Amino acid sequence: MIIIAPYAQKLRNGKQNPKNYPYWEELIELIDEPIVQVGVTGEKQLVSDFRTDLPISALRELLWQCRTWIGVDSFFQHLGWDEGIKGVVLWGPSDPLIYGHPENINLLKGREHLAKNQFLWWEATEHKNERFLKPSEVLEYLKV
Amino acid sequence: MSKILCSVATRGRYHSTLPLVLNAIINQTRLPDKLVIFDDNDEPQDMRNEMIYQYFFQILNSKNIAWEWAYAEKKGQHHIHQRANSMGYDLVWRVDDDAIPEPNVLENLIKHFDVGVGAVGGSVLTPPYLPDTSAVSGTIDNIDSEPNIQWGKIERVKQVEHLHCTFLYRAGVYDYNLGLSRVAHREETLFTYGLHRKKYQILVVPDAVTWHMKNPQGGIRSETKREMYEHDEQIFRNVLKYKDHTIVVLNCGLGDHIVFSHVLPAVRNPLVFTCYPEVIQGRPIAEAQQLFGGIDIWNIYKKMDQWKWQGSLEDAYRKLYL
Repeated sequence: MIIIAPYAQKLRNGKQNPKNYPYWEELIELIDEPIVQVGVTGEKQLVSDFRTDLPISALRELLWQCRTWIGVDSFFQHLGWDEGIKGVVLWGPSDPLIYGHPENINLLKGREHLAKNQFLWWEATEHKNERFLKPSEVLEYLKV
Repeated sequence: MSKILCSVATRGRYHSTLPLVLNAIINQTRLPDKLVIFDDNDEPQDMRNEMIYQYFFQILNSKNIAWEWAYAEKKGQHHIHQRANSMGYDLVWRVDDDAIPEPNVLENLIKHFDVGVGAVGGSVLTPPYLPDTSAVSGTIDNIDSEPNIQWGKIERVKQVEHLHCTFLYRAGVYDYNLGLSRVAHREETLFTYGLHRKKYQILVVPDAVTWHMKNPQGGIRSETKREMYEHDEQIFRNVLKYKDHTIVVLNCGLGDHIVFSHVLPAVRNPLVFTCYPEVIQGRPIAEAQQLFGGIDIWNIYKKMDQWKWQGSLEDAYRKLYL
């Protein structure tokens, strides 16, 4: 079983979080094993098994049941790292050298796509699909 | 060589002590690289039209000292000092608008500014009150029981824990408490004590005398509201009350708390204020605000921005708290 944590925290201005991966549907199509989606109420459901608003303790237990996990730069990548469960992080405008953990598989399309200022509220950064790797490029890392 | 900014905050003293102060700065034996005057007057004037100020500006230009007349936000001098603190200079020499430095002050303050020093001050004399401060410790514990060491003639270099009024300090390593009221009571004590807590040496040195006129008219602290002083004094007392703790304020996201949980075991005697007690136990953030006023000095994102940080978030937390 793979856990997906597809979304970063909602922005206060209502816009899409620039850290959100834009190709989840296509990526999920390519994954050939059970998937559990974790997130919060109001987020788009991508698979049939969508578990919302789980407490941290339940998420920690769930991590121990998965083969691996995949997400964006959200709290979940820190939680997986904290539990010592290796996973894949899909990076866009935020810098994995600052916010990531080398113990995870950090997939960044290129440093030229990083936001110039890493320390502003993310409301100030525009979402751009071209910042992210395509699903076919991601898939091989999920097999590891 | 260190780049030095001289910062003067002024209010209500255009035509009294401010010109004396500017004259004294211009005639220092060691000149600053830039002079910035923060004008906090309720009705600011364009001093370029004033003859005496025209002279000052011409002399500054002739001596190749950059200068700037900046209009302040009327939120108190702590906001002004924080602006100076963030202007990208190595050192800031803060001078009050009624404190007249002798010509050798900056030269003698900078002589003592070695690696590991956070701030250096000299005597700040207000005759006829000239107490003998030779036995004064300058520690924060004795702040209520002894006169300020800078009020008397300083005969030898001495390490202390706080300074007042005017001094030279290392910029960008500690922030002014912006939670204080407009009167900014104790702002310089809190600031220099904060540098001391960051393990920087705070020194008083001889041969650096400033004459503090204590001009009763005008002044950056011309507010008289008692509640403001009481508010600021309470913040100061709370800082003293918890001085044996490392104050940790996690006003940040869930992931940040998880990362910080790997740093926490190394923090000395932590007193934690938290948004996510299920990750890190502690007291509510609102309580930190109530106790200490401004909590921006613990804002890890502001700190990383200030430090132009390129390392990991975990290492940034280590820099802030260890």
